[in-house]
Amino acid sequence: MPKITFIEDDGTEHAVEAGADASVMQAAMDNLVPGIVAECGGYANCATCHVYIDPAWADKLPAPEEAEEVMIEAAFDVRPTSRLSCQVQVTEDTDGLIVRLPASQTGA
Amino acid sequence: MTTSSTMDIPAHVPEDRVVDFDYLRPAGINEDLHVAWKNAQDTLPDIFWTPRNGGHWVVTRADAIKAIQLDHKRFSHARLSIGGPYAREGSVVQMDPPRHGSYRMLVSPTFSPKAVAALEPIVRETTVSIVEELRPKGECEFVGDFAQIVPVVVFLGTVDLPAEDRDYLLPLAEKVIRPRDRQEHHEGHTALDEYVARALAARAKQPGSDLLSKIVTARIGGEPIAFEAAVALSQVVLAAGLDTVASILGFVVRFLALNPGHRQQLIDDASLVPNAVEELIRRHGLVNSARLITQDTEFQGMRLKEGEQILVPNHLYGLDERQVDNPLVVDFTRPHPEQHYAAFGNGPHRCPGSFLAKLELTVFLQEWLARIPDFAIKPGTTPRIASGPVNTIQELHLAWDTDPR
Ligand code: HEM
Ligand code: HEM
Ligand code: FES
Repeated sequence: MPKITFIEDDGTEHAVEAGADASVMQAAMDNLVPGIVAECGGYANCATCHVYIDPAWADKLPAPEEAEEVMIEAAFDVRPTSRLSCQVQVTEDTDGLIVRLPASQTGA
Repeated sequence: MTTSSTMDIPAHVPEDRVVDFDYLRPAGINEDLHVAWKNAQDTLPDIFWTPRNGGHWVVTRADAIKAIQLDHKRFSHARLSIGGPYAREGSVVQMDPPRHGSYRMLVSPTFSPKAVAALEPIVRETTVSIVEELRPKGECEFVGDFAQIVPVVVFLGTVDLPAEDRDYLLPLAEKVIRPRDRQEHHEGHTALDEYVARALAARAKQPGSDLLSKIVTARIGGEPIAFEAAVALSQVVLAAGLDTVASILGFVVRFLALNPGHRQQLIDDASLVPNAVEELIRRHGLVNSARLITQDTEFQGMRLKEGEQILVPNHLYGLDERQVDNPLVVDFTRPHPEQHYAAFGNGPHRCPGSFLAKLELTVFLQEWLARIPDFAIKPGTTPRIASGPVNTIQELHLAWDTDPR
């Protein structure tokens, strides 16, 4: 199963195994990784599953679709490798993916 | 329950799944609407057919509610209410994916947590000024004096329209939220359409950075958006945040009026407020929307037929003891109440206004309780409670001591 490492804002790391077919958001939720809210349940409608993809990985993932792009802009503290993790699909090719979590999804 | 033999029961519905249930008038809603619906959940089958309101299916349990809200292929939004059109043709709430997405994309970013944080000052100012005005009076009719006003003022701020338009819009909102009859409801919507259309026409000429400008200048599938589509979308953004917010505020304030212990708990420990908001939403969900069945199919052991409607009372999700303990108990320290409700829907249509709704509730609790900590339902009055596409409180008189010290 593909591995993903989530790194919280304070540096805490969570190495998880993701089911194929899951989204990166789902992998985080399934493994109780803190720091993702996912209010809308995975439809690019809430921007509370915001993550920063490790720069080494950013170009290897399929580019975001328009719905994700417009919603990323509505997240807090957007950076060049920002993605909505519900729109990033886990595959065999993403084995070893590293994603960092923002300080807050909701500004609270 | 009895079944009238004069009503048509389709042949594929098993006899033991036919119940005479009128979702507009469940027994006992005047005491506690949610307890009355909970009683239906406890005593009726998990899925049944009622001949009332033209005849339709009803589900009552969390698993079915969520499954249907997620399954637009079999359960379409095309006819979203039982017994009425309930939304304009071409409105975003009635579209199924993929068409839905290109419209929805225009709205969601405006109500993200970051965007909503920018609306906090206007929510707080509005709330404080109304409560300050009400406090010395010692009483109010909560729906008209508070609950209807906040969403209208916040809408105007969100789309950068003049705050003075409030006086024009409030009577229209009143018609939509608590119409005397269908005719008046219709008039309210038509007038809101006209208002929104005027604003959109102005923005089309002189676009700004607000939501209405964005909608009227949008491209859908490469083509400029049709003006009627822009009106329908903008109207939904206005209307969808009106009666929902007004209704939940009504249920919440009624609960607090009857439960001084819960009020005191929030006054003593303000840090409980965010979790209290989630818990109050879990316990006081609102929406009875319907889905149109698109194909003959099996669901929970029943044969459903193309063209039938099914009622999805998503407020019952949070009251289902199969997924949450002691569902009728309001416990502000309950862990993660937000994981135990479906009040904002599930799936691609899930309410984009949830962060705004929660902000409006949070600010309400903070500012009202700081100024009017002690209040009750006004003696001699009875709240007017109604079941409908959106369950609601239409009238709620409150009273308090203006000089408690
Ligand atoms: C989110 C709030 C609501 C929206 C956006 C909404 C929207 C609409 C729209 C656009 C129509 C179309 C037909 C017309 O203009 O006459 C309609 C009809 C209707 N609505 Fe609403 N409505 C809302 C809340 C409610 C509530 C709270 C009730 C009942 C308590 C209700 C009951 C009805 C009924 C019965 C009709 C059918 C009217 C007829 O057939 O003449 N609606 N609604
Ligand atoms: C407590 C208050 C509210 C409740 C309970 C509520 C509930 C809902 C529900 C159940 C839906 C339909 C979801 C579905 O069909 O799966 C919805 C849709 C919608 N809500 Fe809310 N809502 C609330 C407040 C608001 C506010 C404040 C806004 C203002 C922006 C808003 C805007 C909308 C819009 C635009 C839609 C249509 C979305 C779509 O069809 O894609 N709502 N809401
Ligand atoms: S879960 Fe809502 S945008 Fe990803």
